[in-house]
Amino acid sequence: MSLSARPRPGAGLSPLVPLGYLVCAAGAFLVASLGAAWLGPELAGHYYHPRLLALTHTVTLGWVTLAIMGASYQLIPIVLERPIWSERLARWQLAILAVAVTGMVAHFHLGTWPGLTAAAGLLAVGITLHLGNVGMSLRGFTQWTFTARLVVLAYGALALTTLFGLALAVNRVWPILPGEFFPTLHAHVQLALLGWVAPMILAVAARVYPMFFLAPAPRRWHSFLQLWGLAAGVPAVVLGLLGVPGLLVAGALAVAAAVGAHGAWICEMAWWRRRPSLDWGLRFVLTATAFLPPAAVLGVALAADRLSGPRVAIAYTIVTLGWVSLTIAGMMLKIVPFLVWYHAYSPRAGREPVPTLAELSWPRAEALAYGLLTGGIVLLAATVLVGESIWIRAAGVVLALGALALAAALSRVLTHLWTSRGATADRGRAAARRLA
Amino acid sequence: MSLNPERVTQALRAVFDPELGMSIVDLGLIYGMEINAGRVSITMTLTAQGCPLHASIAEWVRRAIREIPGVEDVQVAVTFDPPWTPDRIVRGPSR
Repeated sequence: MSLSARPRPGAGLSPLVPLGYLVCAAGAFLVASLGAAWLGPELAGHYYHPRLLALTHTVTLGWVTLAIMGASYQLIPIVLERPIWSERLARWQLAILAVAVTGMVAHFHLGTWPGLTAAAGLLAVGITLHLGNVGMSLRGFTQWTFTARLVVLAYGALALTTLFGLALAVNRVWPILPGEFFPTLHAHVQLALLGWVAPMILAVAARVYPMFFLAPAPRRWHSFLQLWGLAAGVPAVVLGLLGVPGLLVAGALAVAAAVGAHGAWICEMAWWRRRPSLDWGLRFVLTATAFLPPAAVLGVALAADRLSGPRVAIAYTIVTLGWVSLTIAGMMLKIVPFLVWYHAYSPRAGREPVPTLAELSWPRAEALAYGLLTGGIVLLAATVLVGESIWIRAAGVVLALGALALAAALSRVLTHLWTSRGATADRGRAAARRLA
Repeated sequence: MSLNPERVTQALRAVFDPELGMSIVDLGLIYGMEINAGRVSITMTLTAQGCPLHASIAEWVRRAIREIPGVEDVQVAVTFDPPWTPDRIVRGPSR
């Protein structure tokens, strides 16, 4: 097929759009890690505490969801081969989400529920806009691959998570929810973690990791177990929590099977990879997978009532978010340099020497972030289980230093957006002087 | 040096995938090459469909080949049939 005749997926979307999301997400991660250090005493107690809810939503909405949405605006054209429908909508959506998440976190922290409900409503608007933009992008889509099915599953769960979250917020002001409060809260959490975040990571990994690692894609049984483990497991877990307890353990086991298949594929891929040296981004991604077995064991044990208690629940959430966070950090270290390079240097490539992606990065800061974030997450989960607030606070400080190192590494990459422009301008002025 | 497949391949070794740091020749992205007088036709692939560097890499290929003395026209066609797999890599990252 001729190049000029072939549509270029995502060609109309400025790299600055996904970059905007990723920068906001990294900022939220830094705030959340500082929050973890600050909220040591609260983390040693019950999870249903306004400040912990503020911390949780800083992580899940500010860090995880904004990062996934930003990455999806970059990756949907690649993994699903569909151009993004509206760049303008993507920009507006970020502004709305940034205000909504800030509002939610602030109102959780202050414990002001009417304000929280208003912010949650605004968040629902932002998420609906994202779902609309993605839905319009996928109009007429017919290639229902493993990745495409998981993405649709994830967006369905995002819509339900938002609905549950909005209902929980409204319920604080006008009690509307039938039944007990905590099962609904737990269903909201599992929909977010297992229904929205996990399928999105598995979907993107299946298409993107083989490209980065130069390794084989998931085999048929890997894909089958990952897809159907989540597609059957997540509804079973949610229904199990909401009133059909017999489904809870079966659902947790199905999700654990999906997670196991993903882990098995990652191990196989790492073994057969053709890329001999791994950059820090890829090390983050591989290390993240090591968090899956403890997350699965804790999840099944909680579902089967073999373990219980608020601190175990917090530790399960930390380990699961540890997998998610290290994966996102690793992917950011791949995506951000690419977007910056594409914006700053791609138009000049071939005409003059331009740096490679590796030359944009700051390996020392990335290595520091890798060590501190990995160690910080492990320490935080362990100290929460022990329940000593002073140690939780120390683990939070390690995590915050790691987030700071990650932010520094990403900031250094972002400086190329300005320095490359300056270099071009200098060359232009020099040429003009010569002509004069 | 006259225009021949070796000369064109040598020029293509200067075109790198910026993420992998490997030349498109070493990655096995070049599927075919035809040289007819001063006209060069390249059939190539990319590591993934929908790659955002789709048009850029093809343009770099054109530029690299146009630098060869005797080249009058360069045509680049991208195909995903057969799709690229890591088995096509002919050597490890070279930088």
